Parts: sequence; C-alpha cells; structure tokens
Amino acid sequence: MVKVAVIQFPGSNCDLDALEILQKTIKVSTDLVWHKNLKLDEYDAYVLPGGFSYGDYLRAGAIAATSSSLETIREATDKGKPVLGICNGFQILVEAGILPGAVLRNSGLRFVCKWTRLRIESTGTPFTKLASKGQILRIPIAHNEGRYYLDKDQLAELERSEQIVLRYVDENDVPNEDSNPNGSLDNIAGICNKRGNVMGLMPHPERASLPVLSPENYPEGRIIFDSMVESLGGSTGGK
Amino acid sequence: MTRSVIEEPQSLIMVEVQKPNLTDEEIRYAVKKLQREPNEVEWAMLEAQWSEHCSYKSSKPLLKQLPSKGPRVIVGPGFDAGVIDIGDGWVVTLHIESHNHPSAIDPYGGAATGVGGVVRDILSLGTRPIALLDPLRFGSIESPHTRWLFDNVVRGIADYGNCIGVPTVGGEVEFDPSFERNCLVDVVCVGLGRKDKLVLGEARNPGDLVYLVGGNTGRDGIRGAGFASKALTDKSDTERSAVQVPDPFTKKLIIEAILEAVDANIIQGMKDLGGGGLTCGLSEIAAKAGTGIEIDLNRIQTREPNMLPAEIMISESQERMILLIREEDERKLVNILEKWELGFAKIGHVTEGGLLIIRQGNEVVAKAPAKFVAEAPLAPRSAMRPRYLDVLAKVPEPPLPEDLDQTLIELISSPDIASKEWIYRQYDHEVGIRTIIRPGQADSALLRLPNKSSLALTTDGNSKHCYVDPYWGTVGVVSESFCNLVAGGAEPVALVDHLQFGDPGNPEVYWTFKEAIRAISNYLKALSVPCIGGKVSFYNEDSTSRRAIKPSPVIAALGLVDPKTPRIAQALRKEGNDLVVIGNTSDEMGGSEYYEHIHKLTGGRVPRVNLKKERTLLRSLLRSLRSGRVESIHDISKGGLAIALTEMSVQGRKGVTVNLDKVPNKTSRIDNSLFSESRSRFIIETKPRDITRIVNSFKRLGIPAAKVGSVTDNGIEFLSKGRSIIAIPISEVSRAWSETIPRAMEATL
Amino acid sequence: MCAVCLPMSPATCTVEVVVENKPLARDPEGETIHRNLILKGGYSQVTNVRAGKLLRMNVEARSPEDAKQLVRKLCDDLRIYNPASHICQVRVLS
Repeated sequence: MVKVAVIQFPGSNCDLDALEILQKTIKVSTDLVWHKNLKLDEYDAYVLPGGFSYGDYLRAGAIAATSSSLETIREATDKGKPVLGICNGFQILVEAGILPGAVLRNSGLRFVCKWTRLRIESTGTPFTKLASKGQILRIPIAHNEGRYYLDKDQLAELERSEQIVLRYVDENDVPNEDSNPNGSLDNIAGICNKRGNVMGLMPHPERASLPVLSPENYPEGRIIFDSMVESLGGSTGGK
Repeated sequence: MTRSVIEEPQSLIMVEVQKPNLTDEEIRYAVKKLQREPNEVEWAMLEAQWSEHCSYKSSKPLLKQLPSKGPRVIVGPGFDAGVIDIGDGWVVTLHIESHNHPSAIDPYGGAATGVGGVVRDILSLGTRPIALLDPLRFGSIESPHTRWLFDNVVRGIADYGNCIGVPTVGGEVEFDPSFERNCLVDVVCVGLGRKDKLVLGEARNPGDLVYLVGGNTGRDGIRGAGFASKALTDKSDTERSAVQVPDPFTKKLIIEAILEAVDANIIQGMKDLGGGGLTCGLSEIAAKAGTGIEIDLNRIQTREPNMLPAEIMISESQERMILLIREEDERKLVNILEKWELGFAKIGHVTEGGLLIIRQGNEVVAKAPAKFVAEAPLAPRSAMRPRYLDVLAKVPEPPLPEDLDQTLIELISSPDIASKEWIYRQYDHEVGIRTIIRPGQADSALLRLPNKSSLALTTDGNSKHCYVDPYWGTVGVVSESFCNLVAGGAEPVALVDHLQFGDPGNPEVYWTFKEAIRAISNYLKALSVPCIGGKVSFYNEDSTSRRAIKPSPVIAALGLVDPKTPRIAQALRKEGNDLVVIGNTSDEMGGSEYYEHIHKLTGGRVPRVNLKKERTLLRSLLRSLRSGRVESIHDISKGGLAIALTEMSVQGRKGVTVNLDKVPNKTSRIDNSLFSESRSRFIIETKPRDITRIVNSFKRLGIPAAKVGSVTDNGIEFLSKGRSIIAIPISEVSRAWSETIPRAMEATL
Repeated sequence: MCAVCLPMSPATCTVEVVVENKPLARDPEGETIHRNLILKGGYSQVTNVRAGKLLRMNVEARSPEDAKQLVRKLCDDLRIYNPASHICQVRVLS
C-alpha cells in the first residue's frame, strides 16, 4: 500500500491542511512525521508543507534545511521517490540544495495572499503526469518570500531540461508582469530537479483541493496530489 | 545631612514601586482588608491587578446588564474567551482584545503582540485558534502619522497571524481625526475544539503543579497594565518598558505544544499571561476556584539578572502561559514541551485556603488572599449627558449636490468605504483550509466546520454614528453585525463586545459608555442572543489636548449556517435579474459617510432600529436565503443604498438600473434616499420568476420590500421621476473604489 | 570614501546605519539563529546573536562628522528606526 509522509518542522503551519487533504480527499495513507523522527526512508513519497519553519528567520527555509530529516529526504530523492515542497517546503528544498536557485523576498516587499492562474509547463513529473501541457490550474498563493531567482545560465539550463513546471499566467493564459505576483524570474511558480521526482512550488494545491473552497467548485489543485499517488501505482479518492 | 549618593535607591523602578499608583480609597481598602500595610511587592501586584485594564473596576456593574445566557452558551463572560456549543461534540470560542496604547507608539510590535494576546486567550480554553478579524481605527489617511501607523499595524498583524498559521478572514477600518493620536487596534480571535477537552482558567485541585511555559520573564512590559490604564503622553516614546517584541515563532510552538497536551488530557487548568502578568494569571486562576497558589520566584527563568520580585510578578513578557497539571502527568507534559523545545519551569502548586503566597527561596515576599488581589474594589463613576449632543442634533441640512455622479464617485473613494484589498492581500486568509467566503466577498466571512455546518463571522463598529448618538449608534452597530451574519445565511448565535472610550472619570465619557451598554443589552434581549464576553478599554484620549476618541463600541459576532443553505456572495450574478430593496429608508443622516465625508458635517439624526420588528425581518430574510431564490445579497450600511448597489455592481462587473421612486422610502430629499444609512436594509438579486414570491414573503409580515430595478450589462444608473439622476460607467467607480487606499499608502512608502 | 573628505570641500562619505532592537528588548530572530543554527551546528563559542538591519548610504558632505550628523538627523526625522523599540547606530566608514 502506498504511504506518504508529511514532514512537520517547528513553525510549519500547512502541515495539517496537507495531511487532511491527503487522508480525506485523496484518500491515501499519510502520516504526519515530526522532522526529528524521520530517520529512515520508510515512505513512498514525502510532502514538505508550507508555513514559517523557525519563524522564517535568517531566510525562509534556511534553518529547517539543516534538519537531519533532510538527509533522509536526500536519500529518498536519490532513489527517485516523489518529494513535493509546497511554499515553505519549496524554500527548504532550495536552501538544502535539492532544488536549484533561490527564493527571495517578494518584489512588492509585502506578503501576498491571492488566487493565481498557473500554466502547466511540464508533465514529466510525478506531480503533473495527469495534467496536460498548457492546462490552467487556479491555486492560491500566500507568501512573503516567493520570488524565484537564479542566474541566466542556470535558467537556460532549467528551461532546456524541462525543469520549469508551473508559471503564473494572466486571464489569457500568458505569463507577463501583471500576472507575476512576486517578481519571480520568468513567472516561475514551480520547478523540479533534473530527474523530475522532486518538485517545489509556491502556490498551495492543498488549498484548492476541496470544491467548497475553490472557484466555481472546481478543485484544480488536487491534480498534483492525484498525479503523485497515480505515479506510485496507488488509487485516489473519488473526484 | 551626610547622605551619600550610594544610599540612593538602586533604580527608578524601585522608587516607583514604593509609591503605589492607586487611589486613596483603594489604598485604605487594601490596608483594611489585609489588616496591615502591604509591602512593596504586594503594592506592585495590587497596582497591576487593580488597574482598569485587569480589574474592570469602572465597568463591572454595568457589564452585568448584558444578557449572557443561552442554550448554546457553555462559558460566558469572566473567562479568557466565551464558548459556544455548535453540536456534534464541537465548540467554538470567541474573544476580542485591543492593543491601542502600545500600537500608538510602536504600531508594528503593538499590533503583532495584540494578535498574540488574543490568540493566547483562545488557546487558554484548550481550543485551536482558527480565525482572526481586525477592526481598526485611525486618524485621517491624509496625515503622514496615520499612514505610518496604518502601514505598520497592518504589517504587524500580517506578520504575526501569517506566521502562526491563523487566517485573518475579516475586519473593518474607520478613519476619523479623533483617532489621530490614539489609534484603535482590535483583534478578534475564534477557536475550535472538542467539548470534552475544554480547559478552564480555574485552579480546582489543590496539589496540582503550576508550570510556567514559553518565553523567559524579562523587564519588558513592566507596568504595562498600568500603562494601558493611563492616557498617552509624549513621554511614552521614551519609556523603554512600553515595548514588547513579538515572537510569533515561539507562539506557534506554544500553540502546538499546548494543543498536544490538551489532547492528552493532562491540563487541569490554564491561563495566559497578558496584562498584569503573573499577578493577574495566578490570582485569577486561584480566585475563580476559591483555592490558593504558592510559587517560588527563584524557579522562574528570567532574561535579565537581578530582577526584583515585584518586577517578576508584574512583568508582561510575551508568549507565556500558566499550566496546572497533576503530579502524575508531569513526565508527559515535560516530554511534550521538550519535543517543541519550549522553555518551562515548575514554579509552585495549588493550595487550599485561598492564599497567594509568593516566595523567593525560603523567604515569603508577598502573601495575600487570591480573591482580594484578583477583585479590585469597584470605582464609583458618575455619568452626565454630554452637552455636545444637543448641538449636534440640530445641525442644518446641507445643500443638495449639483452633480450626484461626482458625489457618488467621491463617496466610494472615501477611505472608510473604498476597497480594503490593500489590507487583506497582506493577510493569509486561506491557511487552515476552512475559508469559504473570503474578505471582500460578502458581508461576513464563512468558515467550514468539521460538523458540516459553517461558521459566519463579522466585526463591526461605527464611531461616527456613536459620537452623534451613543445609544442609537451602538444599537445600529449590533444590528449591522446581525444583518451581516444573516446576509451570509447564518443564524446569529453569540457576540462579544469591545467598548473603547476615553477617561471613565469624565462623567460625559462615562455617560456615553453607559448608553453603549444599554444599547447592546436592549438589542440582545430583543433578539434573545447572548453576549459571551468582551473587553473594555478606557483612557483612549490624547492627554495633551484632553480630547477623547469618539465612543467606539465594536462588536464581533458569530452565526451558524446550516448545511443546506446555499453560499451567497454580494457580487451581482446575471444580467436581467431583478433587484429588491428590503426595509425602509428614512432621513437618518447623522454620522453618515455622506454628511461626514462629502459635507464635512457632523450631526443630525442617527439611524434607529425597530427592535420589535428586527427579529421578524432577520428570520424571514434567512428563510429567503435558504429557499435558494437569492442570487446575491448585500446589507445597506455605510454610504447607503447607492454605495451598496455600486459595490455589488463593481464586484460582479454588472450594471444596475434602479428607479429610486420604487424604493420603500420616507425621505424628504433625493440625496437622503441615495445615501441615508438607515438600518436593517438589504438589497437582494433574484431571478425574475422568483421576484413576486420574494417581495410578498416580506410584505406579508409588514416588512417594506419592493422591486426597484434590474441587473444590466451597462453602467450604474439611478432614475427618479422618469429622468436619470446618476449614470456612471462601472470602470470609473471601480477605479475610484479600488485605488483610494493603495494610492494613499504606496505614495508614502 | 572619507579619507578624501577634506574640510570645506564636499565629497562623498559612506555612512552605515545599524538598527537593532533595544539591548534589553528581546530579539527572537537572533535568538532563533543562535539556538537552532549556530549552537546546533556546534559553534558553542558563540554566546549571543543579535539581528538587525543595515543601511549603507553615500552622503555628500563637507566632513565625515557632517555626514554622520546629517544621517543621524534623517534617521530621527524620517523614523528610519522607532525610538520606542530600536536603537540606531550611525558610523562613518573609514
């Protein structure tokens, strides 16, 4: 049976949200695991949830990235298991060097909470395999440090190896300045590692996984979790 | 004289402690009750606990007038938060707090720690904080000082609430010059928990251990309680102890650790440490149960060396909680606290006999009955109707504007009415995956509950109305809260109030305070809804000018929506639908945004509420909403009918054409019918086939209701006597509405 | 640079402003970095960490002292720091 772990760091605050969606909506067996207790790579997939680990002090994700649990995550990554970092989880993966680049303070210098439109740029990850390229997902963001950045050469490399998974787009599905909520380079909202099994994204798919919380009752965020479970050969809850 | 400098007191604080800041009557009462002169530690404790902030000595007898009982009430006033039974073993907790004085000098830290304080209150009951709402009041947005306060208050709330993962789902803002030097920063917090896990702030079992959990105790916030009870002076800027540093990260750890301990059933009693610090926490938790507590100050981890016993007892250092546990559960608690890497100390135990005994090692430094410390002697206050009220009642009517288009644009650009998106974008309003209706979408926020029903939340105030007529202004505020809940499809269940006034020693101020309580009480009795708690904040005045703020009762109310009620927002839905106005519009212009903002006129008749009809109106409205025949709904409040329709129009990006002659109307002037803020009115959008049933369902009960127009794909148009009196494209009002606050704020940054 | 600041001839000085919480106020950021990063990383020689904000300004002034006074004044006037909760140090880079 497929088993997923949601890692809880001190200051995680979307851990229970991700857990609830995975258990009750996606209906996949999921444990909430305190970061210090993650010693062995015993799970099929890992979710690093959003929040403010260690208060976001120094840099978002910087202190959590030194947690011993990241060694286990690295081990799972090397074996090709799916690892998903949402918001602060994305920041932690970047700080730990598992994903490339940096996530900087929003260009507007303010926390931003709003619904965004995201365009699927790659279906080559376990988190987007059920989606189609160019598909639009409406998922909210809520962060202070979400401006994805890396230098020019690395960006070209990222593009070449299809590591850009999600981009912020406008009503006409075009990535541009107006639809860029935080100043991310190239409107990047989510990326993956070279192998494709680790994905980090700033938007919160767990907040767009229940009809009652979603625009016109379409929970467009759940496709990310559904894809993950599907890629592991598991079955997911009714849609 | 041979005194050398060495013999001078060690510190200024020593000197201050030796002279208690209490009235002569309080000093006499203390000596008589204790049958001796209290020592300096005891004086410091009494001064902190008997401050207005902790003791409610000026307000207690009046607050008892408020109805506080009801079938769903589990815990009413007198505890850290009120508790409501929502069925299926679940409870919701509700509380409101303010941090006005700290926010006036350090808006970022003051607002943030204000959030921290009310979150601790909710946590004290063993419930998880699930939502915040922030009613804010500032001076004119034209003032750079106001913008500095406003910007930092919003950042403070955002940084704290976002970090601890509690969504800020609502709030309201009012700008008025009376708040220039004394902004009002209120925070409402809502909690969710299991009924069988509730914890009370009562030390019921002698022998239980007392644990102090969280941050270390420092000198910050010393005399904070006294501070909040004094009017602000410019000197506050240099008082170091006034500033407390927010630490949301530690608060998040405290929340999780305590909820883990609550879940394991090991907490027997709990109290947060806020104003009055340990003195308040220990004396109240013991007094509530008739027990005593003995502690040893040497066990408390202090942040600075050589803290005096008095300083430790009144320190208001943030992020601290008092936990009472049985001895056999000690290991379990320590394991949880160590997992979350929180500081803690076993500082004493609960005793029989009702005495609060403070030791430092073997030396007893303070000893007094807990009840005596906890319950200050009441402060008798006199009340006198302010003379200004008669003047304001008789202001002459303003001239009729020549260009009503322009008036509407100006009104929708008023910072009191304009879109608050600039604020709520900065708040995480989604975390917790409960938020169904978000800020700006409807009259109240709506949250998903674990038992299939949903929770509607609103917070309201209107100092402009309350200034011109404290009684009817306050009735109107409560009415608005209830209208907001009902517009969200909810049955009003309970409220908490926050009464913010000037110096209670001023008989005119005290009279307005009494009127506000009488108003809330009468409204709640008419509707049979309880007040389950609240807060009083006095001394909100500028001590240089001695000018009090406008009376500012603020209400936070909650309601329950049954699972079958459809979700209805305020954005217009579809061209061709009909628009219905429910309720009467009268010449009630006093304190209206139209008078204040457009004509710079304060005074007139404030809207009144027919308390006999209110319940019938709200019930039939709820029936309509449940019937599924309502497409969108908005209550009519600030700015009146014209503004309410404009807001629905802008949000739905649909036009309206409304015939004013059809509106149920008793006004004498066209501008009054457009902008009057008469209470208990709604606009409903409905499909043409349902219009007759909707209108008749109200008329049958004697409630005025009429079809006034329809939704169009055009602009906003009002007609009267066959001609157009207002016609504006949506884009124009939309820009005015959405740009006011960002333009004012970003210009300064 | 200030070495080139000659009396009475305007030149560019570099002035640094450091804003921190008051010494006796808490500093949760510094405490967290100290406890959860530095001490856990084994650097027990570090006994305290304070976080703050650094502003580096280039200032046209007749002397380093003038530059410092100007910056001091602007920090006070423009509420670069909040005297209720912060201390603000101004220093001229040499």
